[in-house]
Amino acid sequence: MKDLVKAFRQGVGIENPLTVLMIGLCAVLAVSTQLQNAVFMGIAVTFVATMSSVLVSLFRKLIPNEVRIPVFIVVIASFVTIVDLVMKAFVPGIYQVLGIWIPLIVVNCMILGRAEAFAYHNRLLLSAADGLGMGVGYWLVMVLLATIRELFGTGKLMWFETTLVSLPAGYAPPSILLLFPGAFLVFGFMIAGSRWLNERSAARAEARACRR
Amino acid sequence: MSTVTQFALLFIGGALINNILLTRFIGLCPFFGVSGNMETSLGMSLAVVFVMMMASTATWTVWEFVLEPLGVGDFLYIPAFILIIASLVQFVEMYLRKASPVLYRAMGIFLPLITTNCAVLATATEAAKPGFFKLNIPIGASLSLGQALIYTLGVSIGFGFALITFAALRERLELSPVPRLFKGSPIAFITAGLLSLAYVGFSGWFGL
Repeated sequence: MKDLVKAFRQGVGIENPLTVLMIGLCAVLAVSTQLQNAVFMGIAVTFVATMSSVLVSLFRKLIPNEVRIPVFIVVIASFVTIVDLVMKAFVPGIYQVLGIWIPLIVVNCMILGRAEAFAYHNRLLLSAADGLGMGVGYWLVMVLLATIRELFGTGKLMWFETTLVSLPAGYAPPSILLLFPGAFLVFGFMIAGSRWLNERSAARAEARACRR
Repeated sequence: MSTVTQFALLFIGGALINNILLTRFIGLCPFFGVSGNMETSLGMSLAVVFVMMMASTATWTVWEFVLEPLGVGDFLYIPAFILIIASLVQFVEMYLRKASPVLYRAMGIFLPLITTNCAVLATATEAAKPGFFKLNIPIGASLSLGQALIYTLGVSIGFGFALITFAALRERLELSPVPRLFKGSPIAFITAGLLSLAYVGFSGWFGL
């Protein structure tokens, strides 16, 4: 149980796929203009990451080493197709906006990378926890980025038709945050911030170890 | 609209106005991964042009003659295209190693990386089955093979151009005094943001 929690927490924190490993960035920067898009994209990626980790781990003894990459890709592509069709049927509005990013989950390096580096070598539950942790870590960063961009770029935060939060009326939103450059700029500051947090927690852990 | 104008619009639209890296965020992994060094960026750009052209030809053919006529395109296109690209890249790598060691040395090591490069899948998908990028070009619902190839050429050259520009900037950044927390990737992102700001200026050219 303990190592399950540890595998999960690693994905969310110190091995966060986005701010630390910096893989699978493309979709995050592109869909983070609106909170609702980011939430649905995150759910799709988490689902594919977890399910493909489970399936790869389940069949890890059967998959020959030489053809493992094509096998992983086929496994991932099947789950992506499931997500693609389900989203097309149930949330067509979101599907229209996300567009090409759903099929592109196939080549999200995060998912293939975890299948190769983790799920292929570890037992079922541990791989599931790792996939879920990576997905949730990805989701959190993307939602945070989208929140910053939407809130400060438009002056309010929407969830479908309802306004969740809105800034005071005198606020003039800088639209650069919603444009392409804004994603790069905000994300650059976010990495610096997460680096600061990681350094601080490492320094604290060291201080605790010294006192003991 | 004459064919030449159409081709020119497709090329410029793909290369500058809808630059795949800086205005579409597609293919960022190599953009940040290999741009630390000018030589590797050149090799990567060359390999991307090469692979994208082959991938688009293959996916266009398969879509036109197999998936579309059989009516299975809507749910089979993802696995089909990614498998086509992955196996194509593998064959090209093996062939190059035998046939042209010079070319292999220049771009061989980038070929496996390109399999999971979303830029290739995105462009090949767009060439075969347009509609995802919402390109504002009056050419109808699908591209002919020639149009698809010109479009792919534009996209891949735009990719190379952005990558090489960015690599040149990053080589300068190595020598600049940057605050400790921002060293490395954060400052690279902020630089990319400024570069992408320049590309925003292209939008609206020729009414695209």
